[in-house]
Amino acid sequence: MNYFIQFLIAMTATITFAILFSVPKQELPLCGLAGALEWVVYYAIVLKMKNVVLGSLTAAFVLTIFCRITAVLRQNPATVYFLPGIFPLVPGAGIYYTAYYLIFGKKELFAAKGLETFEIALAIVFGIIFGFSIPEALFHKREKNKKQEES
Amino acid sequence: MNDTKEILTLAVGIGDSMLRCGAEIYRVEDSVVRILDEFGLEDSDVYVLSNGIFASANEKQEDACSVIRHVPLSATHLGKLTALNQLTRDICSHRCTLKEAEERLEQCRKIPNYSNGICLLACGLGCAAFTLLFGGRFPDGVYAFFVGVMEQIALLFCAKRKVSRFLTNVYVSLLVSILSLPAAFGFLPLLHDKVVIGTIMPLVPGIVFTTSIRDFYNGDYLSGTIHLIDALLTGLCIAVGVSLPLVLLRYLHILQFS
Repeated sequence: MNYFIQFLIAMTATITFAILFSVPKQELPLCGLAGALEWVVYYAIVLKMKNVVLGSLTAAFVLTIFCRITAVLRQNPATVYFLPGIFPLVPGAGIYYTAYYLIFGKKELFAAKGLETFEIALAIVFGIIFGFSIPEALFHKREKNKKQEES
Repeated sequence: MNDTKEILTLAVGIGDSMLRCGAEIYRVEDSVVRILDEFGLEDSDVYVLSNGIFASANEKQEDACSVIRHVPLSATHLGKLTALNQLTRDICSHRCTLKEAEERLEQCRKIPNYSNGICLLACGLGCAAFTLLFGGRFPDGVYAFFVGVMEQIALLFCAKRKVSRFLTNVYVSLLVSILSLPAAFGFLPLLHDKVVIGTIMPLVPGIVFTTSIRDFYNGDYLSGTIHLIDALLTGLCIAVGVSLPLVLLRYLHILQFS
């Protein structure tokens, strides 16, 4: 039940941001699905394994794969699903707390939070890179098969 | 071949528009090269940066020509990007002549944003949803909704007045921080940090950051660096805007660490 609520909220968040970036109407549901799927993966890993970095890495990877598959199926750039979808992962909280601890002179908390934020950012980077390093041909093979079936 | 110039202008025009909408360098370069190939310009060269395009064709012949475009970093518009991508596809599968393509490019450039009302609602709802997602409770979400709406009004105002991007970020995050202050003092039973984190999401440079990663991944190091610096500076501006009121209140001994 809790997962379902998280799924819905993440979907709302992603769709509203997709609107702010002028994604065409017919692609909005898929954008929402991309963001929601990625957030549920992240949420589950953080909840079960208490590892934010691993969660970000896996979620970014899942998002990238999902976006590339949808991109091929819908014949659109992967960017359209990818950019709104990445937002739930962006460590906005980390940046905020880092700045907050700095203001109040809590050096240890500042260092710990800053390092964690940097790790999360790196994890997202590698999640995306792993996702994109799967050869393009794998995705297109599926598309070709589909076209043959249609014709 | 007398229309070398038209073809090159069209291809670079499409690339220019794509770059403005927030496409990654690789996609722009690929699209321009494909269009040039499609119209039979074999001897051509294209170089794309995150804020400019350089292209030349038929250098050794009589109809040699070249195009340089300056493309300032601007707001992401994924709707235009989708349309331009479709246009490129159609050109490359012979479903579109040169004249038609020019007309369709003009149409693509005119694709509007969503109306201001919808943007306000979307920004409010988005901020509320992110506040809930990052651990806020229901009242925090409701408060974030109103802050989000105010934020979008400020963003639209700044865009209309053509305030520079960095100042926009500072002003708007300052506004968000001030609007969330009632929560910090406990006038309202809200979690101050969650409200701020949720409501700065529309400003956070998530898009530039991911574009930068993809540029690096594709080997476009210079463009990747430009985007990365942009993302870092934007983040810095947000941090300055958000923390300014907190710093002030701290030195006046009004706000305590919690």
